Amino acid sequence: MKIIVLNCGSSSIKYQLFEMPSQEVLAKGLVDKIGLKGASIKHSRSDGVEIKLDGEILNHQAGIEYLLGILISEKYGSLKDLNEIGAVGHRVVHAGEKFKRSVFITNQVVEALEECIDLAPLHNPPNLEGIYSITRLMPEVPQVGVFDTAYHQTMPDYAYLYGIPYSLYEKYKVRRYGFHGSSHRFVSQRAAEILGKDLKDLKVISCHLGNGASMAAIKDGQSLDTSMGMTPIEGLVMGTRCGDIDAGALLYIADKEKTSIQFTSTLLNKHSGMLGLSGVSSDMRDIESAADTGNQRAATALKIYHYRIKKYIGSYAAAMGGVDLIIFTGGVGENDFVTREKTMEGLEFMGIEFDKEKNDKLRGKEEIISKPGSHVIVMVVPTNEELVIAQDTYEIVAEIKN
Amino acid sequence: MAERLEDFGLSKTMLNKGALQKVGIIGCGSMGQEIAKNISQHGFDVVFIDVDEKHVAEGTAGIVQLLDDEIMRWGMTQGEKRLILSRIKGTIDYQLLSDCDIVLETINSKKPGTSIELRKEIFRKIEKVVRRDTVIASNTAVLMISDIASGLEYPERAVGLHFLSPADSVKILEVVRSANTSDEAYDLVCKFVTMLEKKVVKLLESPGNISTRMIVVEINQACEILMEGIASIEDIDETMKESLGHQYGPFELADRVGLDKVMKWMDGLYNEFGGSIYKTSPVIKRLVRTNYLGKTSGVGFYKYDTNGKIIGHTITCPEIKL
Repeated sequence: MKIIVLNCGSSSIKYQLFEMPSQEVLAKGLVDKIGLKGASIKHSRSDGVEIKLDGEILNHQAGIEYLLGILISEKYGSLKDLNEIGAVGHRVVHAGEKFKRSVFITNQVVEALEECIDLAPLHNPPNLEGIYSITRLMPEVPQVGVFDTAYHQTMPDYAYLYGIPYSLYEKYKVRRYGFHGSSHRFVSQRAAEILGKDLKDLKVISCHLGNGASMAAIKDGQSLDTSMGMTPIEGLVMGTRCGDIDAGALLYIADKEKTSIQFTSTLLNKHSGMLGLSGVSSDMRDIESAADTGNQRAATALKIYHYRIKKYIGSYAAAMGGVDLIIFTGGVGENDFVTREKTMEGLEFMGIEFDKEKNDKLRGKEEIISKPGSHVIVMVVPTNEELVIAQDTYEIVAEIKN
Repeated sequence: MAERLEDFGLSKTMLNKGALQKVGIIGCGSMGQEIAKNISQHGFDVVFIDVDEKHVAEGTAGIVQLLDDEIMRWGMTQGEKRLILSRIKGTIDYQLLSDCDIVLETINSKKPGTSIELRKEIFRKIEKVVRRDTVIASNTAVLMISDIASGLEYPERAVGLHFLSPADSVKILEVVRSANTSDEAYDLVCKFVTMLEKKVVKLLESPGNISTRMIVVEINQACEILMEGIASIEDIDETMKESLGHQYGPFELADRVGLDKVMKWMDGLYNEFGGSIYKTSPVIKRLVRTNYLGKTSGVGFYKYDTNGKIIGHTITCPEIKL
């Protein structure tokens, strides 16, 4: 079955065409700058044929029409016609408390997701645009929604509630939801598979470190806790997001700088994190080279970044009553061996025997980076959120067809 | 051979192309700058026109300043600033308006008297270069759209679109229709306003719309209270802000608008309606004659430092003894 996976952002669409269940990627691409000047589509086929087209792409539907057009084109396509497409899987950021797993998209599901727009006003609307567009263009094709939040719906109430009046949870569903669910789920399952163990028997700490970053404590095969909260601002220090901060400090800043809600949001989401701390960049490579050449602020920013991860490792080990496996994934987690080394430093007391040599220069490869016999296994597992979406879509659609 | 994106569309279902992509702004003054920034920020291309290169350059520099101020207050990133500026094309060439979907006139004439003839001429110049379905709009506060559009070949394309300052934070727009305005033109402008994430306030043409007609009376009454020696400028402003939730007090607002402009509003409304509540207060006339024009000139009802911060007032309320 051929499955298209769509990840619709505010002005972009990432897409992949899978052959399932073989997991072969037939083609992938990026529709960029939708509705903006300089819009383009970059498309590549598995045999290496590539094309970049510039032009006017007014909205998500137009972007999807073009990518489908390319997929069935003689020169660059992988399909004879659109009827070959068996299903479309969508990444949807926020499903609130409504969905605990991926679902077949019906009108009721769409309505439920529309109700979640308030919780993710930047992300859910473009995700929904993708669903509306496919419904209009290929009404017969089954669609599946895969949610970033769903995986963490197993968190117990003592992990997801904030210490604010309970009525605010009841009225507005103010609580911790967590994100990067597909990634945490994929890498923990994959790691257990590599180790030949049952995930249910492992206490896992998964570190998804990218431009956005979160950690998850996974016990009995499910998410017990995660560092992102109601929004992706909470938790680790990220590229441009601040992570954990005293809410009182925010009140103080808002009072001093007379910032509106919108401006405060930009402050916390775009001006903060590693960019705000270092003043150099949000990219770890730039910050590390700045620190190497004596930039003190960059050096401090890195220490803060590593320290915060370490604090979460300690607290999740405490929450689970121990840890058997620590996984690094995401752009930074997979490629930045310095970050991995620094966050593991001094954790020997927990039973971590880190293998510096295996870790050094290791980029983007599945690998165990703890020494044989280490009480806690440390691994690098590259994430593949698109594959999770393709798998879920395939399973759900195959089940319905049967 | 270069391939075009259009060759790959599923043409049978493609949406109408070019729907609301480009907007023209005539007038690079402070209001034109705020409007151009706000429109570009919402993803539209903007053609930004004034009478000469100097005004265009000043207008563009003004937008850069607005964006820098926002970055300073954490509201924006450098990348977003670059994107917004890349969509604004400053020019004196009306031909560049030819593919605009809406063209908005927002001139700020410093000449005394009415600006009706100037606006009519601009409307005609716009109509010469734009498509048949382009909407021509005016940001006028007190003039009638049907008057401004009277010289057009197709007056049904004219709509009033009144932005209130600050254009970014005021979440409503007065959308004015004249007796001639077509449904198509009016609906297009309403759609545009929604795309700017603002609420449409629909109204029939009438001098001063809602906002200007109400504020003129409030400013005049505030001047009366001041002249009668009842209360100070600061206390009147404070009372209106605290008790009625206004963002600015009447004197603060008059200074921000510019007292010469306030006087024009009042003259326009007085001419139209004749009621003394619209008649320019002698206090405002005196300040305008002294060239105390408000915040931009550094002195109006209040005195301002170079950063625009209030440092005192010009008219003192006589001490009241009972």
